[in-house]
Amino acid sequence: MIDFSIILAGFSDAFTLWNLVFVLFGVVVGHLVGAVPGIGPVMAMAIAIPFTFGFDTLPAIAFLVGVNKGGLVSGAVPAVLINTPGTPDAAATALDGYPLARQGKPLKATKMALFSSVTGDTFSDIVLITVSAPLAILALRMGPVEVLALMIFAFSVLSGLVGKSFLKGVIAATLGLLFATVGADPENYNPRLIFGHYELYDGLPLVSVAIGMLAMSEIIRRLSEIHGEVKSAVSVQDAGNRNDQRVTWKEYWSCRYTMLRGAGMGTILGALPGIGSTAAAFLSYSTTKALSTKPETFGKGNLQGIAAAESANSAVVGANLIPLLTLGIPGSVSAALIISAFMIHGIQPGPLLFQDQGRLIYGLFGTMIMANFLNLWVGQLGLRIWVKVVSAPESIIFSSAILLCIVGVGMATNGLFGVVVMLIFAVIGYLMTSAGLSVVIFIITFFLGSRFEISLSQSLALMNADITRIVGSTPSHWPC
Amino acid sequence: MSFRADRITGALIATFGGVLYLFIIPRFVDSSQSSWIRPDTIPLATSFVIVLCGAFLVFKPTAHSLQNLRGHFKAVLFFLLLALGLYAMSMFGFVYIAPLLALSLMLLIGERRLLWLGLGVIGVPFAIWLLVVRVLERSLP
Repeated sequence: MIDFSIILAGFSDAFTLWNLVFVLFGVVVGHLVGAVPGIGPVMAMAIAIPFTFGFDTLPAIAFLVGVNKGGLVSGAVPAVLINTPGTPDAAATALDGYPLARQGKPLKATKMALFSSVTGDTFSDIVLITVSAPLAILALRMGPVEVLALMIFAFSVLSGLVGKSFLKGVIAATLGLLFATVGADPENYNPRLIFGHYELYDGLPLVSVAIGMLAMSEIIRRLSEIHGEVKSAVSVQDAGNRNDQRVTWKEYWSCRYTMLRGAGMGTILGALPGIGSTAAAFLSYSTTKALSTKPETFGKGNLQGIAAAESANSAVVGANLIPLLTLGIPGSVSAALIISAFMIHGIQPGPLLFQDQGRLIYGLFGTMIMANFLNLWVGQLGLRIWVKVVSAPESIIFSSAILLCIVGVGMATNGLFGVVVMLIFAVIGYLMTSAGLSVVIFIITFFLGSRFEISLSQSLALMNADITRIVGSTPSHWPC
Repeated sequence: MSFRADRITGALIATFGGVLYLFIIPRFVDSSQSSWIRPDTIPLATSFVIVLCGAFLVFKPTAHSLQNLRGHFKAVLFFLLLALGLYAMSMFGFVYIAPLLALSLMLLIGERRLLWLGLGVIGVPFAIWLLVVRVLERSLP
């Protein structure tokens, strides 16, 4: 059991002014990038990670958490205003948000999205805080065989549920595992597939791979789709009268069951690796529509539809960290990026985190709660400002993002070699996306690849090379 | 509904896996057995699965369509420009090449307005320099 003083110390670390500044900065950046279609919080987190290199661990993680949460909330802004979701999970929000905006109520729609998003996110954070420590204690009882079985399960779920084709999911997962073998093998330290480049002896830099595949390839894909006149990323419609610019308490309270259901669905789906917030948002939306007494109003500007989608997609964020903090298995790309930030700061993720870094983890939890409140505040105050700021043309947004990617990776890998690796993986990411292969599965399996190999080796030793015994294995210190 | 894109993708993936399995892994990965798993076990296993899955994709394609060719051509141009920019950066450094790279990118995107060009070519690289060199006290690539 974790000492209560550690929990208190962690929360007190989180609520310092210095940490607050980083969370606030992260939330502001997140709101900004989330509102620009095509950038989004994942790309922003990938670019931001190298810049957090020099910070202390908690402020660095706090900043990234802020970017993630802020970006997810403001992804609804372009979805509502121009029917173009800033993030994929805001697509369900556009179904009712955009019609509401066309009725002259864009602020009502975006504010409902903000309130329900913060509600769902806070719900899932509370579940994370209460559930993850007991789960980590259970996870500590698992040996290499159980970890191996769990990873195979995670790969299967990812391959089956992310993307449209199971076969393509398996290809993406296998490619991720293959690229994870570059560098010294974990048992004998023999170099593999390094082609004479000794910079690769420690493996392909995670930052280069992540930024190349998530940020650079996406920027190039977006740039290649621009035809004709360079346009602003977001165009704004005029709001209607004062009553149509706000959400009343009565309207919010009428959506309470919808938000609770959405948050519950988002939390459950978020705790499973790979399902993600887009599926949660659409599931919650369709369930709410099916249970409604007026299903014909959905798709025409129903506030319940916005509340259902936003509460579910935001609830995924906190729940995604449950497998990450308890088992060391990232449930999404944003969780994988947070894990890479942990590793940059010399912290190994997994069940031992609660034992070795309890104070940091409870600091992270405190930061997450703080980010939710700041999200509400920044979202309320900044809505009109973001819309103006993100009216900048795509040419400046994407050229700046490319320069930031180059500098960020250059800083993280101490030179241009990592930047070249990033460019190569940008090409691979572009080709994979064009072929319909998921880069999300690739990144997660790439990240888990070396751990998979070590677990496999240890399991073989324990099972005396009889891999079929994996089926009948039970943890040696299981409580029952 | 066309299955051609997936058939081509499957064939390319299977070829990639086959080349890895037959030529690259045997040459660039040690196969000595001194522990439970040989260094080439996972690379060989994954490349074998890639060949199998690629072949399956050829025979069981999904209805996936490729982006238009013009878009891919533009993407190639952007990648070439970035590769050239990185090569120049390795010779002259970020400070001198970043404004030129930003200018080339913005022109290629189609931006012609002087104000935005000025902001992208001078303002953004200057802001990055300020953040990295002055605030974070790190060196630029």
